[in-house]
Amino acid sequence: MSAYLKVSGLEKRFGGLLALQDCSFTIAERRITCLVGPNGAGKTTIFNVITGFLKPDEGSVTFRGRSLDGLAPQAVVHAGIARTFQNLRLFADLTALDNVMVGLPRQFAEEPLGAIFRPLHAARTQGRRREEALEILSHVGLADRATERVRNLSYGEQKLLTVARVLATGAELLLLDEPASGLSAGALDNIMALLRRLQNEGKTLLVVEHNTRVVQQIADDVLFLHQGHLMAQGTPQQIIADPALAEIYFGGAI
Amino acid sequence: MDFWFSYITLAEIYVLLGLSTNLLVGIVGIFSVSQAAVFGVGAYIVAHFLLAPEPMSFLPALGIAAAGCVVLNVLVTLPSLRISGDYFVVTSFGIQLLATAVFTNWTAGTGGANGLPGIPPPDLFNHKLESTGQLTLLCTAGAGLGCLAFFLIMRAPFGRLLRAIREDESAVAAAGKNVLRAKVSAAALAGAFAGVAGGLYATFLSFIDPSSFDLDASILLLTMVVVGGARTLAGSIIGPFLLLALPQILTLLDIPTTIAAAMRQLLYGMLLILFMMFRPQGLAGERL
Repeated sequence: MSAYLKVSGLEKRFGGLLALQDCSFTIAERRITCLVGPNGAGKTTIFNVITGFLKPDEGSVTFRGRSLDGLAPQAVVHAGIARTFQNLRLFADLTALDNVMVGLPRQFAEEPLGAIFRPLHAARTQGRRREEALEILSHVGLADRATERVRNLSYGEQKLLTVARVLATGAELLLLDEPASGLSAGALDNIMALLRRLQNEGKTLLVVEHNTRVVQQIADDVLFLHQGHLMAQGTPQQIIADPALAEIYFGGAI
Repeated sequence: MDFWFSYITLAEIYVLLGLSTNLLVGIVGIFSVSQAAVFGVGAYIVAHFLLAPEPMSFLPALGIAAAGCVVLNVLVTLPSLRISGDYFVVTSFGIQLLATAVFTNWTAGTGGANGLPGIPPPDLFNHKLESTGQLTLLCTAGAGLGCLAFFLIMRAPFGRLLRAIREDESAVAAAGKNVLRAKVSAAALAGAFAGVAGGLYATFLSFIDPSSFDLDASILLLTMVVVGGARTLAGSIIGPFLLLALPQILTLLDIPTTIAAAMRQLLYGMLLILFMMFRPQGLAGERL
């Protein structure tokens, strides 16, 4: 049986820095897998390679048995994998609703000819897609902020919106880069509940996370990355109980 | 009366150019300073076909000019797909200089610095449009269709996609959209607007020379978009009408003709600076 997502032998060099070296792992469908490790371990680089933003020097990625090697970012999304960014990268001048609508796949009049020559059809289909986007917004709890510009949303709301935007793409595997960082306790509970809910709805999640409390609460599996290499894999309890990993992670502070 | 018709007609031609520039610079964020060059190519193509020994009729010539400018604008915009913001301005500047050099020196094709005189008025369905009033109607129709197209695009998913691209290309790719295709489409559209404007301009003035399509002209277009208001349809209409009225207002003041042209440039420059400092969204631009 082939793995759901399989990363094998990835290597990525930035000048003299070896960001990933012989990095291999698999993740299972419909589970929440947390990717942990100290700063500079290569977590975000892994995301960039899987989603086509970076070409690896060596190695390959397969998803549902299909190779993703050489695919452009938008093609990876069409294959069913979508990501968020650590620095959010929302469209700040657009409304929350428009941010979600940008992500909806297969829209009519997303090119000029349809927009100019079939305006009525464009307006009608857009009305339907708008409903779809509103549903996604209410799913993450932002229904009442739909017409607000992103720059006026709180940080917590913006984080929820990044999740809404990847949901809009219809992807089944979601790569979330630190969805819980910088959030207040209330917002934290909120987003953890959301991630659990997405899992129950059939999504698979690969999450970069630093907060050990969050990892313990949401992760089914944990991948521990160190110096661009997979160092350990296990349940949150196993990983946290390992004194060698804690030493690396906290630099001997505990 | 003819004076008003001329003013309105010229302003309408510049509305098309304003739409072209606004689409690239304001909406997508491709900072082009060579839109006048594309405009010029449109004008020369139409002039060429109408001045040929066997003159073509106006609409097919305009179609060829539009198609040519679509291709040309995609080509000159292509560098922006690889190099980012500030660097593209320099590239685009080079393209503008190159175009001016060709317009001025390719005497056989463009008449060189002397320009091409005697371009016949446009004809529609075997009917020559001789009077200024008829030309005004034609340009009103052209500008009206351009504005309608711009309006429809901006409210369609395509418009949203372009605005999103201006803000963050990577995020658009991460949302599963083809950034390259969208940018090429926008450049093609901007090229079509500029090409049609060029054809209308050539037949309206019946004379064209390189001075209408030089760097000053490109900067005038940018000034129109900035003063009128970037990113909005209203801005692309207000800008041309206002800035083309300025020279006329200057003639009312008692200024020697020898310094009038310099005064105009001075005024355009000052307007650009003042708007950037105190009202960057322009008169009718999107408030940020």
